[in-house]
Amino acid sequence: MGWMDHMQDQEYDNHDGTSDATPGGYPDRRRPGELAFAGFLLAASLYLLYSAYGIAGFEALSSPGAVPMATTAVMVISALIVVIRTAKLHTFANETISGSILPRTVIIFTGLLIAYGLLLKPLGFLPTSALFLIASIRILSDRGWGFVFAVSTGSLLLIWLVFRIIFTVLMPAGIVPEAEFIQFFRDLFQHGAA
Amino acid sequence: MKKFIIGAVSALVMATSAASAADYPTQEIQGIIQWGAGGSTDTVMRSVTPHAEKALGGTVIMQNMTGGVGAIALNYVEALPADGYTLLMGAENPLLYKVMGLGEKDYSDFIPISILARGTPILVANQDAPFDDYAGMMAYIKEHPGELRLGATGPGGLPSVITAMMNTVEGKLDVISVPYDGDGPALTALQGGAIDVMPAVLGASIEGIRAGNMKPLAIFDVTANEKLPDVPTITSFNDKYNDMLPWGPFFGVFVAKGTPDDIVAKLASAYAEGAKNPEFVELMDNRGFTMMGISGQEAQDFLSKWQQNTTWLLQDAGLTKASPEDFGIARPAK
Amino acid sequence: MDSLLAFFTVFTQPELLLLVGVGTFAGVYIGAIPGLSVTMAVSILISFTFSWDVYPAISLMIGIYMGGVYGGARTAILLNIPGAPSAIATAMDGYPLAQRGEAGTAIGITTVMSFFGGFVGIAVLAVAAPFVSDFALKFQPRDYMLLAVLGILLVGSLSTGSLAKGIFAGAFGIAVGAVGMDPLTFTQRFTFDIPLMRGGISFIAVMIGMFGVSEALLQLHHIGLPAIRQKITRIVPSWGTLRKHLPLSLQTSAIGVMIGALPGTGGDIAALMAYDHAKRVTKNPERPFGQGAIEGLVAPETANNAAVGGAFIPMMTLGIPGDAVTAIMIGALFIHGLNPGPMLMIDQPNMFWFIVGALVTANFFMLLFGLTGIRLFVKIVEMPRSVLIPLILLLSIVGAYAVNNSITDVYWMLGFGFFGYFMRHYGYPLGPVILGVILSRLLDDNWRRAIISEREDLGRFFWGIFSSPLSLTLFAAVVLIFVSQTPVWSKAKSALARRQDR
Repeated sequence: MGWMDHMQDQEYDNHDGTSDATPGGYPDRRRPGELAFAGFLLAASLYLLYSAYGIAGFEALSSPGAVPMATTAVMVISALIVVIRTAKLHTFANETISGSILPRTVIIFTGLLIAYGLLLKPLGFLPTSALFLIASIRILSDRGWGFVFAVSTGSLLLIWLVFRIIFTVLMPAGIVPEAEFIQFFRDLFQHGAA
Repeated sequence: MKKFIIGAVSALVMATSAASAADYPTQEIQGIIQWGAGGSTDTVMRSVTPHAEKALGGTVIMQNMTGGVGAIALNYVEALPADGYTLLMGAENPLLYKVMGLGEKDYSDFIPISILARGTPILVANQDAPFDDYAGMMAYIKEHPGELRLGATGPGGLPSVITAMMNTVEGKLDVISVPYDGDGPALTALQGGAIDVMPAVLGASIEGIRAGNMKPLAIFDVTANEKLPDVPTITSFNDKYNDMLPWGPFFGVFVAKGTPDDIVAKLASAYAEGAKNPEFVELMDNRGFTMMGISGQEAQDFLSKWQQNTTWLLQDAGLTKASPEDFGIARPAK
Repeated sequence: MDSLLAFFTVFTQPELLLLVGVGTFAGVYIGAIPGLSVTMAVSILISFTFSWDVYPAISLMIGIYMGGVYGGARTAILLNIPGAPSAIATAMDGYPLAQRGEAGTAIGITTVMSFFGGFVGIAVLAVAAPFVSDFALKFQPRDYMLLAVLGILLVGSLSTGSLAKGIFAGAFGIAVGAVGMDPLTFTQRFTFDIPLMRGGISFIAVMIGMFGVSEALLQLHHIGLPAIRQKITRIVPSWGTLRKHLPLSLQTSAIGVMIGALPGTGGDIAALMAYDHAKRVTKNPERPFGQGAIEGLVAPETANNAAVGGAFIPMMTLGIPGDAVTAIMIGALFIHGLNPGPMLMIDQPNMFWFIVGALVTANFFMLLFGLTGIRLFVKIVEMPRSVLIPLILLLSIVGAYAVNNSITDVYWMLGFGFFGYFMRHYGYPLGPVILGVILSRLLDDNWRRAIISEREDLGRFFWGIFSSPLSLTLFAAVVLIFVSQTPVWSKAKSALARRQDR
């Protein structure tokens, strides 16, 4: 029982991580994939420490690499402690990767989000978002296409109005001639007002 | 309703056909500001553009795009089609990107629409500093080597250029250079006594000087400034500075190279018109900026002269990563 | 007399009153949507109000500012997604309350406490502005550095579960904050020679990814469960509750004003420090922290709204911005032909009193809009998850893009979302990551300034700390808090307790 454990006697009624205040993980059991994740963090920390050393080496206390080196060193040490302690724990028998950590819906959504990221620039904000909303609401709900279309387009329109018109955030237009369209409405409005 | 449909359809058709300069602008124009909201570039651009919009008869949507000392914004605008629908609103820094190793592109990949105004550098000191003018500061540095804390804003910033000038004229100064991420935070630190002296742009320090929170040592110009007529010019202390002055940071609006000439002309006349607006002129005057409002060849010449002088000054002071020669920037003729 | 008139300007002109009201109302919603920030709204307003007079323009901005700082708490409580960085601490106890169906109570408490904190901030601004700004100016680089270290020690109270994982998360956050071109020397750090990485990683993108996307992905596990029914019985907290928390709320408001008044630190750091303070001084919370402690709502919400008044202090007295929003307001004053700076209070004292009046008005509107319309807001959580989750994801994407108009930020946001998802599963706390990113530059820049100023001499550096009362106080606080988190302290305490038992 090291000093790092002093907070472990808290109650864990909420182990799935739905709240950040009570994150997932069990104090005395290892979840599937936890050791691999800890190992990955250790490897990544070591690489970052190497990279931080490359910024300026041990040139000076005031070098731009000083704080990055100190922090990545802390990362390596704490990651190492986590790996050792995780390795000592027994796995949690009731859990599997596909059941508790990465169920099918999460993998599907990961795919959808990656597709969104790839399509955003060539296709443009409006078509990509419409496709994303329609696909994801359809996958999650058991409602008919009418509901899915109405909710998707309605909420997308609202988001677009708030961000594009009020906050003038220029999302990638892609294949939709947004700028011409808005100018047209602006002209219409101005002529109407004049 | 019919008119509406026709309009909507024609808007779609227009999008697909090549933009013709006669109708320019047919859509909103994007203005990318190289620096963050609330900074001087931001303030200047947001106050001149509404006047220019009126003259242009279009809409310019301004957005701040920060990062990489402005290089992120510059590369972003450069990569977009040169159709006059994206403007770069920036300051002098890109002219130093190449020699400082900060980027491969600079204003030579752009056409200046308007160089709006120029700032004047000034040397200010903490109110409790044991000297009252430039000569006093020099004497103090000689008596107390390695004691004076001089503010800086990173390589290529105004303080680094002014410091390079002082090193060139007076010989290497033995001072501590404390880095800040902008002249605002540095001037705050100056008032709190964390640094002793700061080379800053006049506009940023003028209110502090008026209130007696910091004291001016010398103005980096060949003539006295009408905003602070009592502050001596640096040339009155040492006339070697005459070779390098006047020098100062500037603000300008640019479009990517390859933009059709008539669109450039339209934009240039709109910004020239906007820069004449009395409210804007008054704002710039209050902040101690000198109006320029130049465009075309005059602006090109100004940019290349500025780049020649400054890059070689930094090169001779040993502050560059690569020689200006590598980029075909010739040493200025004496 | 003139100042009194100026103070009442807002109340006597219906147009200004309306603008403050509209601004506050809009601010609550802008603050609640992750990715729509007050900073963004205010900088757009500069162009929008360009042709207006200065009073109406400032009225609208102040309304949005006040409402926005408060609005961030809404989504933090209802969805576990802080709408703004200053609401991160609010999520930690607010969301557990919403999961118990007590979102109404939580929102009621945060509203009244924000109102209280807002008033403390405004009162300090009105009464002691020159005094506080003189004090804030005294902070040297080493003091900012010590403040950052103090902030980093909060990792201990932000991590439930394994402290080693919390420390890892905090250090990771600091490293993330260092990515990109170093603003002081333009050296590239952790960029791996990729041009896209030179701009660094937007802190808002990290926050939206870690809290928004990872939360949405996690909610996919419970897609079949019905939404939690919220019972909205008592929204306005009782006098007893308020009286009980009065001492704490005064202390945390004071933290808020001071952190807000310091140039370079704002409501986000203030709220986290206040949360930590509450955890330290509250001996017996009704519920443990992290599971819906009322004190965990009181502290951050008083502090972040008190920081609003605090941020105006250096702005009004010296023309130095106290945070990002006041920086833009200074620009707005310039555009409207004023010269913000130390002379503003002398040349135009009416402007000062007008702003104080507008802040007071905005604070009242915030209370009004905060206590009404809760039912409507709560409907959001009661929406079916099948619609809510896709919308959260889309809003996260748009929000991340909007910060800096960059697709790269969207990719970062998604990357941190997936990473955060695994972190949650394996018991790594997310709070310290955000804390690290927020404090990264404060720590790094000021450490370098401090040590450069002492010519790289550690001896001179520590002499500097011990010869300044301010630095010494901060240093003592750092040492005390650090020791209280280590085993020596708890061993000593238990030994002491045993001795007393005998």
